[in-house]
Amino acid sequence: MSHDVLIVDDSATIRQMVKKTLKMAGLDVGSVFEASNGIEALAQLNDHPVAVMLVDINMPTMNGVQLLTRMQENRRLKTIPIVIVSTEGSKQRIEELESIGAFGYVRKPFHPEQLRDVLKPLLGVKDDVTDQDGDIDGDLF
Amino acid sequence: MSQTKTATLTEIFSEVLANLAFMFTDDDQADVGAGDVWLETTIGYEGPCRGELCFRCPRDFTRQLAANLLGIDVEHEEATHKSEDAVKEFMNIVCGQLVTTLHGAQAVFNLTIPQCRELAETPNLDVEDDPRISTLSVNGSRIQLVYRADEDIEPTS
Repeated sequence: MSHDVLIVDDSATIRQMVKKTLKMAGLDVGSVFEASNGIEALAQLNDHPVAVMLVDINMPTMNGVQLLTRMQENRRLKTIPIVIVSTEGSKQRIEELESIGAFGYVRKPFHPEQLRDVLKPLLGVKDDVTDQDGDIDGDLF
Repeated sequence: MSQTKTATLTEIFSEVLANLAFMFTDDDQADVGAGDVWLETTIGYEGPCRGELCFRCPRDFTRQLAANLLGIDVEHEEATHKSEDAVKEFMNIVCGQLVTTLHGAQAVFNLTIPQCRELAETPNLDVEDDPRISTLSVNGSRIQLVYRADEDIEPTS
């Protein structure tokens, strides 16, 4: 069964690049929804339950940390695994994010393999992908 | 001190640009187009100390950047549509890398939301005696980077 994903990033460019990476990575991804901040993400989650969220930290209106905190207060939403995709490099910040529910962390810019490795346990790999370590090149995203 | 940080910024900028967008700095000085519209993208960081990065380039450069990031032709309308978004996100990435390089992975910094604006005129690209400014050529375009540390940033009202 394919898994739906929500990408939350204020940059449309990054959302498109992540979407492309998900396709290239051979992960078992269904529909990919998008939101440009935490408020939009919460609205999307009302309409579209997803299996995984990819969330940026630095966003206007409601940032990634505020979104995670809000989701932890909701019994249904707190079960959705969240992978942080951010430029953030502080160890303390990453630990803080993990302590409030982040499942994983990928730092921008990233290689498609890095995203795939974090998401593989959550999404699985498509049945028709035989070479799980091949097929995606080493370009940075 | 500013000179060292500006040099670090230039190095990180060039590296991210090459790795992410396959755009490379040139040794030859590129010409400046007479009718070029210039954009200035600014991003700051705050934590144990503050800093601000500013990137000035012709609008066509941002189109090429968007096209390369998205893997589309520069003539594609999406390259134009996403050009400002692409340059803002690019500077977000550069700033994140710079902060870790300058201040280490232990310190916690908050980055501001990048801002992009059109400049009324071509910036002075012949500045040589300001340690905060670095002017270089990339893929046939002149571009300019500015690093401002705590003492150079105007206080917010």
